[in-house]
Amino acid sequence: MDARRPHVAQGGSILNAVSKSQVDQLGERIRKNGITEADLQLLDFYRRSFARAYDHVVTTIRNDLGFEPTGRPTKSTTSIADKLARESLRLSQMQDIAGCRIVVADIIEQDALVDRLTEVFETKSLFDRRESSSHGYRAVHVVVRHMDMPIEIQIRTAFQHLWAELSEKLSDLVEPAVKYGGGPEALVEFLLSASERGRLLESFERRLDQRKDWENQREEIADLAKLIEQTKRELADLLQDMIGKAHLWKRV
Amino acid sequence: MLFLIQYDRGAGRIVKIQRFDDGQQDQADSVRLGLEMDLVRHRQKDEVVLLEAATEEALRKTHRRYFEDLTTLATG
Repeated sequence: MDARRPHVAQGGSILNAVSKSQVDQLGERIRKNGITEADLQLLDFYRRSFARAYDHVVTTIRNDLGFEPTGRPTKSTTSIADKLARESLRLSQMQDIAGCRIVVADIIEQDALVDRLTEVFETKSLFDRRESSSHGYRAVHVVVRHMDMPIEIQIRTAFQHLWAELSEKLSDLVEPAVKYGGGPEALVEFLLSASERGRLLESFERRLDQRKDWENQREEIADLAKLIEQTKRELADLLQDMIGKAHLWKRV
Repeated sequence: MLFLIQYDRGAGRIVKIQRFDDGQQDQADSVRLGLEMDLVRHRQKDEVVLLEAATEEALRKTHRRYFEDLTTLATG
């Protein structure tokens, strides 16, 4: 038996050994009081129960799709505690306890990979945050269910990934609320502005891809190529501007 | 490969990184839990995360925030 899930029955979940209400009570204690050593052990037991489902999803992505995701077999304690403090959801409802991330070059590749993922995995939910972002965060998340355990697959383009990493880093350095639309006004404005330009850039790239073989649309293709270059320059300027101001926002 | 990262969020840098082979998942999990227990005892709030990637280079691309400062992230 795999030592990572010693108390979980074959084909079952943590709920075979610990009830859903016990998991949710654990979440409530973490939300109200922070983490204790005893609760950390119980939380770890719960997190490890996702291992079999996680292994299945990551192996399927590797073997069937030929992608090499970066996996996070268990969500960190700090991320779980932060999420519980921030949102009203119960611990047993958290869908990203285990997951993985794939970064692709652009939105064309992203569309293709999302299509493949939804073909390969039978039970899944799709969260497409590319047109309607979450405080600027844009990506596609596919939550696969295996053995009744949710496993989150994050699919990001290179730009979406850059934005997300910047948002996370600024949250680290300035304040955690930055990731969720809080923090200094100028910083919020930068993140939203960069995200919107990224959305525009990717919409131009998609339109260009749809027209690349159309001989009678050369003028529109040239216009789109110009718009893409212009948007990239605007993004580069925004990033430079942010770097120049970052010292004003940092806690350290 | 498995990478156990202890990250100081406020400072924006890695405190410690430990590497494990693919077959050492159990060991990596145990070390992670021990580290987290230690941090709880000492009331430290560092982030501890165990990540799995084909190579460290791949990890550094998908989780740049842990490895790069703000300027490198924005310009690299």
